[in-house]
Amino acid sequence: MIIGELWRLTPGGEQETLHTSKFQIVTNNPMVAEALGERCHIVFLEHGSDRDVIETVRDLVHRHHRVLTAPLAGSVKPWETPYRSVMVSVSKGTAIDATSLELVEFALMVIGQSRERLETTKPSIDRDFQTVDLSLIESALPSVEAIGRI
Amino acid sequence: MSKFKVVHYINQFFGQVGGEEMAHIPAEKRKGPVGPGLAFTKNFGDDAEIVATIVCGDSWFNENLELATETVLAMVKEESPDLFIAGPAFNAGRYGVACGTICDAVQTELGIPVLTGMYVENPGADMFRTKVLIVSTADSAAGMRRAVPAMAKLALKLVKGERIGASVEEGYIPDGVRRNFFDKKRGSTRALEMLLKKIAGEPFETEYPMPTFDRVPPMPAITDMTKATIAIVTSGGIVPKGNPDRIESSSASKYGSYNIEGVDDLTSETYETAHGGHDPVYANEDADRVIPVDVLRQYEKEGKIGKLHDWFYSTVGNGTAVASSKKYAAEIAEKLISYDVDAVVLTST
Amino acid sequence: MKLEVGYIDIKGIRFGDYNAVEDGILIVNPEPLLEPVLEDPLIKSAHFEIATPGESIRITPVKDVIEPRVKVEGGGGVFPGMVSKVDTVGSGKTHVLRGMAVVTAGPIVGFQEGIIDMTGVGADYTPFSKLHNLVLVMEPVEDFKQHEYEAAARLAGLRTAAAIGELARELVPDETVVYETPTIAESFKEEWKDLPRVGYVMMLQSQGLLHDTYVYGVDAKRTLSTLISATEVMDGAIVSGNCVSACDKNTTYHHQNNPVIHDLLAVHGKKINFVGTIITNENVYLDDKIRSSDWTSKMARYLSLDAAIITQEGFGNPDTDLIMNCTKLEKQGIKTVIITDEYAGQDGKSQSLADADELANAVVTGGNANEVVVLPPLDRVIGTLDYVDTVAGGHAGSLRPDGSIEAELQIITGSTNEMGFNRMSAR
Repeated sequence: MIIGELWRLTPGGEQETLHTSKFQIVTNNPMVAEALGERCHIVFLEHGSDRDVIETVRDLVHRHHRVLTAPLAGSVKPWETPYRSVMVSVSKGTAIDATSLELVEFALMVIGQSRERLETTKPSIDRDFQTVDLSLIESALPSVEAIGRI
Repeated sequence: MSKFKVVHYINQFFGQVGGEEMAHIPAEKRKGPVGPGLAFTKNFGDDAEIVATIVCGDSWFNENLELATETVLAMVKEESPDLFIAGPAFNAGRYGVACGTICDAVQTELGIPVLTGMYVENPGADMFRTKVLIVSTADSAAGMRRAVPAMAKLALKLVKGERIGASVEEGYIPDGVRRNFFDKKRGSTRALEMLLKKIAGEPFETEYPMPTFDRVPPMPAITDMTKATIAIVTSGGIVPKGNPDRIESSSASKYGSYNIEGVDDLTSETYETAHGGHDPVYANEDADRVIPVDVLRQYEKEGKIGKLHDWFYSTVGNGTAVASSKKYAAEIAEKLISYDVDAVVLTST
Repeated sequence: MKLEVGYIDIKGIRFGDYNAVEDGILIVNPEPLLEPVLEDPLIKSAHFEIATPGESIRITPVKDVIEPRVKVEGGGGVFPGMVSKVDTVGSGKTHVLRGMAVVTAGPIVGFQEGIIDMTGVGADYTPFSKLHNLVLVMEPVEDFKQHEYEAAARLAGLRTAAAIGELARELVPDETVVYETPTIAESFKEEWKDLPRVGYVMMLQSQGLLHDTYVYGVDAKRTLSTLISATEVMDGAIVSGNCVSACDKNTTYHHQNNPVIHDLLAVHGKKINFVGTIITNENVYLDDKIRSSDWTSKMARYLSLDAAIITQEGFGNPDTDLIMNCTKLEKQGIKTVIITDEYAGQDGKSQSLADADELANAVVTGGNANEVVVLPPLDRVIGTLDYVDTVAGGHAGSLRPDGSIEAELQIITGSTNEMGFNRMSAR
């Protein structure tokens, strides 16, 4: 699900940018989608897993987008929290960014070798995981919004 | 209390049969300890005894892997031992591979605890470290005096079912499993001591070896193939018929340089394979299947490539130590450079 | 900077009618200490409990561990920018109540973690089982915002530790040690010119809620790599707001007693020239990582370092910063040793770190945090066991009916510390 269309094709066949934020967030965390939906383009994988999030980021990297935040942010482990949010550039480069690719592949390796996650027993705990994940991605906002272009 | 029964595997040299010239002897079982087995007996004390020793030629084992494994397994099964030990093989490549192979088989097929010992650079170590417990030894039999007590101690722990500690505590080659243990000093002190050694250029051991991705930066592509000199290098073991340089079928201790000036095609009369790691039939029938001399010579005649280099360089990759391979590669590279070779077709099997 | 530290050894803690330290015993009258804590509307209740080494006590969930200290002479007060004013610390005289700690316990989020066992197998894995612990157990009001409550709990712990530290002001220390750090000019003196110039790069956790560190009250996320004196750190200039994971988060106690700083100072002027300490962060935003690690190597160059020890904090994301800092220093010819911990899986076979580089050829490890351990049932729990099943490193059924806990080392406070605080290692 994509919240906020990024661009559209004009009748003249040109790409017209609708959303002006320079970054987008790929996430499976509904709290992030809600809190930041106004501020930037969100690729919200509503029932996606953390692996789905990172793989979506990987696909974007292969389309020449750049990863802007650490895919494995936070010390709450992949086998503990089901939520992942990653900030990715809206603009595309001329080639695949090697650093982005490496980060994504390392993240997938860590998730791959993680043991199975348990079902979260209480909704309040689930909310806590969402809160921490939101806080981690929010921590990048001052940095990304300080600069004009990406 | 009865002693644990141990079966010991050693090669033709330590079995006092002979040296390289007797490496072809098949496995034979003898009663009691032989050679290094006597030292093991002393170290086992009252806890264990070697009831049988299997003596086997390194070449016979490596060139008849399936048959050899089956034969030795049967011999071991007959004794119903509590423990199986092999070697120590130190830096003898084929011996190390044999020890690793047979230990792996005994462990898997017979469910008997196993232990072997060899030098960390022995190709057998790389091949079997994650499957079989391997005590780290010196690189030659001069290290026997320290290897045997270390192996005996760990062997007794294994057979008694005691907890095996971290690799550095017990003296085995890291087997890919990280195990915690309490060191004598705290981490910050260990870091300072490691740093002082590193600064002084002294050897130190990292507590966590980084995984190596062994990336080789590629050279720029050839822009004009019609002008390029191409050379053949292979670990496929292709040699002139008769193997004049006696390159070993595994754990090669050398490489050969062979002149192919005027040679358009390799035939079963003129060339053969020395490689012992696969069925040699197809390579012996037509060695071009391993190194494409015929095709490259054709390209040369058609002008597709500038020149096929007059020499090809060959060794056997089977069980050959990484360190040896690097050495041969460095020497071959120097020759290639001196002949202004532009590119190499590198084949393996 | 020159700091004279007077250590007063605490041999026991007991409750009484007044607050004082007498003959090495801390006497605690809870009411006056709890008053400032309970003033915070977010804290519903708070009380103290005492845990002595060897007692059959389990403290959980642990938030922070703080050593009571007081500035007797010299500028500023302990925990500058947090409890005291922002004035620079690190010189003069400071007293320490050694052998004890204030431990803050109580939930902040549902998966809050951290166990300190005072006896049994678990005690071997945490340095805090060897301290006399005054545990401040707190409970939040209903319906609270996590980040606000985290701040409240953090401040409560620091204030309490400072208040108790205050009791040491007039005491005569059992042991006095003088620590001195040179200025850059002094570091070039003739006497030390043949010694290798060694620096310490301290990476601070800085990713968001439950993942923050404060330097003189400044959120480390918003800092550029900079220099700090070893003695400032001893005065509590760096405090922890980090709660995840228990095994490798640096408690405030770890910062106050930084083992790398102490080991380097011990051989300064003899085997090495301990030139200075660089602090740097571990942000989520990648450009911040690049900027911070570039800045660290720039500072290292300014200091003309020959070598450095680098310590990190946390898992995954920080491994990237660690490798960046390490490789950038190595490429400048500065030799490094890095201290980290590992997440190699319960079977010990997984890749231990989330990043790697062959230049990081000298590594000290605090051990594999995934290793499973069974903690025996203990007689008394300070805090609550409600969270053990969802504690990081725990799993459904972690808490067994007999009260024992089967979980990973990740669950034990300080067990795989990445400053090299412990003797545990792995191969």
